[in-house]
Amino acid sequence: MKTLYISSYLMFIVSIAGIVYALVADPPAWIVYAISILFIPLSILSFGLLIMARSKKEEEDERAREPFIGY
Amino acid sequence: MNLMLNILLNVIIAFLLGSLLFGLQRKVMARIQKRPGPPIIQHLLHTLKFYIKESSFPKTAAMPFYIAIASILCVIWVSAVIVGPVAQGSLLLIFAIYALHKIVEHNAGSSSGSPYGKLSCVRAVFSAAAEVPLFAVLIIIFLKTRTMVISDIIAYQAQNGALLFTIPLAALMFFVLILSKAPYSPFAITKGKDIISGYETEHFGLLRGYLMISESIAWYMLLWIFLTVFLGPLSLLGYLVGMVVISVIVAFINATTPMLNPNHSIMVQVTMAFIGIVGSIILLML
Repeated sequence: MKTLYISSYLMFIVSIAGIVYALVADPPAWIVYAISILFIPLSILSFGLLIMARSKKEEEDERAREPFIGY
Repeated sequence: MNLMLNILLNVIIAFLLGSLLFGLQRKVMARIQKRPGPPIIQHLLHTLKFYIKESSFPKTAAMPFYIAIASILCVIWVSAVIVGPVAQGSLLLIFAIYALHKIVEHNAGSSSGSPYGKLSCVRAVFSAAAEVPLFAVLIIIFLKTRTMVISDIIAYQAQNGALLFTIPLAALMFFVLILSKAPYSPFAITKGKDIISGYETEHFGLLRGYLMISESIAWYMLLWIFLTVFLGPLSLLGYLVGMVVISVIVAFINATTPMLNPNHSIMVQVTMAFIGIVGSIILLML
């Protein structure tokens, strides 16, 4: 979970940096398109991963011991 | 306007308006079925609720593909916003985006490891066989206007009148395509309640919210393409009224029509595509 949290942070920072760069520097259109196509979805996903609710410490075991383990 | 700002604004408008139109659709459906129904803003609230919920990923999911495929849905519909309202580029790219949407439905189902998802994945392939011919509507538009570029099609209609009146069967084909993407649609076999939520069954919490954001953008974009390609240059108010009218018509059809069995759904769509293509060619030759 910690790896997910750190990677989400990194993805969010990179994607927001890319979007801000395109907003401020106004690069050629094809670069803006590339930034939008990659970084808008990435920023939405990484922001979601950062702000989503997390289980409490005492609940973690309960989450891992799921009675249903697959099909 | 700054290009990046233009894209961001269009994506936000697409998401918000798409969500509200989905909400309106549910409200109209409820009223037809004599229920009070949820508030129009409910779909948007659901999306945000899912987005911040605690998420876990099933052990059976094929990681990281399971998350990547949800991202791809967002990538393709953000691309559609760029090709459509922002750049007014080629309709062929929209066709490619739609084909990718079918692939996402297929892979979201298969990557989750759920039997419901897998059934939905099979149905996605099945329905693609019927929906892709419906997209042959593009050929008819090309035969009529001699162009595939959205801005040229708008200019053509400004000179010669709306395509809705000259190639009505093509418009009907595209409408069936829009209908098949609506929730509770008679053609929505990939998300049929008989298979729980289809390919989205194992996408809950954040990933469901993420998928719902993309679907709202997709709904807005499909309506935008229909209105732009068949009704020509429209004002902002024209787009808004057009989107509301189409969403209400779709809601009426969904409220009064049961979800079709997959075989029947495909047969109806293929029949529509056949009538649309042959009929339009005959109309063009007249």
